[in-house]
Amino acid sequence: MAKVTVSKLAKLFPPPIKGGDVVRAITNIDFEVDGNVFVSIVGPSGCGKSTLLNILSGVDTPTSGSVTVTEAGKPAKLGYVFQDARLLPWRSVMDNMMYVRDDASDESVANAAKYLSMVGLDHTHEMFPGQLSGGMQQRVGIARAFSVEPDLLLMDEPFSHLDAMTARSLRDHLQELWSRTRKTVLFVTHDVMEAVQLSDRIIVLAPGGVIYDDISIDLPHPRKASDPKVATLQAEILGQFENMQIPAVE
Amino acid sequence: MTTLIQEVEPEPDSAIKRWLVSDRGATLSAAVLFLVMWQLLTLFAPRVPTPWAVVKIMWIEVTGGDYGSVRKGEFWNHYAATLQRYAYGLAIGFTAGVLVGALIGASNIARALISDTVLVLLALPAFVWAFLTTMWFGIGWQAPVLTVAFTAFPFVAVNVAQGVRAITPDLRHMSTAFGVTPVKRFRHLILAGITGYVFAGLRFAMIVSWNGVLLSEWFNGQVGVGFRTRYWFDANRYPGFLGWVISFIIFVVALDRLVLTKLQARAFRWRKTNDELDKDLLTTVG
Repeated sequence: MAKVTVSKLAKLFPPPIKGGDVVRAITNIDFEVDGNVFVSIVGPSGCGKSTLLNILSGVDTPTSGSVTVTEAGKPAKLGYVFQDARLLPWRSVMDNMMYVRDDASDESVANAAKYLSMVGLDHTHEMFPGQLSGGMQQRVGIARAFSVEPDLLLMDEPFSHLDAMTARSLRDHLQELWSRTRKTVLFVTHDVMEAVQLSDRIIVLAPGGVIYDDISIDLPHPRKASDPKVATLQAEILGQFENMQIPAVE
Repeated sequence: MTTLIQEVEPEPDSAIKRWLVSDRGATLSAAVLFLVMWQLLTLFAPRVPTPWAVVKIMWIEVTGGDYGSVRKGEFWNHYAATLQRYAYGLAIGFTAGVLVGALIGASNIARALISDTVLVLLALPAFVWAFLTTMWFGIGWQAPVLTVAFTAFPFVAVNVAQGVRAITPDLRHMSTAFGVTPVKRFRHLILAGITGYVFAGLRFAMIVSWNGVLLSEWFNGQVGVGFRTRYWFDANRYPGFLGWVISFIIFVVALDRLVLTKLQARAFRWRKTNDELDKDLLTTVG
């Protein structure tokens, strides 16, 4: 059960052009995530959602503030699903699964195979990523992230590059996997409907990287996109966004 | 109006026709055609030796005999000497090429500083290195070895640099996010990522530097394939000269077809489409 603590976190990027302004990706945000919950971070493009995940995963460093990701007081183990699958193209599907695992024992291979099976890719072990469709590659990416048995799973708009039908199918796969494993998940998306369908909690970021809202969703899992309760909630939240007052950034 | 279309099953091509249009058939047909043309040419150009005259002298070169005071095993001695120099030169050029290529691929500063120089070296033909190394080192083993090294180096460096650049920051970030160990990264990300490019570079390097070693031996050798080719040229014995030229063409074509192409195809197997992999499988099974 991972605990994420984000405290006074800020991230600035140098001006993209000479003489321009510094880019504020994230501005002094605070929040906590504790327990086996599915939390979505929603916001328009450029509001620092992906930057936040990169800082949490150690790929990027904050300008100020701090983040801690712990599991029972120790550094938590992370899994990451990216916008694109990010598989090693020269390695087979199974080799890609094993690449991120700590050991190569028979048990470990069986575990990786189990997660591939859960996303319906039993037959792909020896195939190269280039032989798979975009949706299948992303399923490998999801299976890979779950297979490391992470304490915290970070997902950065994992379905944004896929067509609507494939994305819908993968959301169902994800809900099924999550229902079985109940990992702590931080899921970045700009799609409010997706966030409502999947999450227990939605943190809304506004441009400039400030927290605009923090919403709890109290509906049982798994949820269907076509469920009237989900649809009603989606409409309510979207209605709030129409009146979004973007806080002034100092 | 109704049009009736009768389905007619196409007749399969005959076995001979299929063989003629196959890769192997086309290669063999081209070789036979070449021999016929060569034989015809000798009818009009008396200075051009016939294929049979070339085969005869090369047979003596290989097995020994009383033609031009050839000792038994002369052919193998010359090839052994050349291959040794070739191997040493390739080892030097390949090692330097991998190191410099990795540096150019990984560092923008190194790319800015070195890549133009490597491109200039790439543009220098092998015979220039053969001349230069002979002027620098005189007669001896150094000139052929270094000609091979200098010729091979830029081909390997350029390809390795391209391979390193093909490893995207996204894949590095993925490795960091999952906490992949440096050893595993080196093996599966870096090494595996550049393997195909290394083979591509090595293939070009081996073909081009083979010319280099022969030229160098032509100018300054006392033993070797290039030296022996010049020996027959100086003796005004064109069957011998042509025989040695053909022998090193056969050598480099065989090296490419039997070893390098297969190794490169294996290393780049992941780039193939499903259809190509299915074809490979059928070929293997068949």
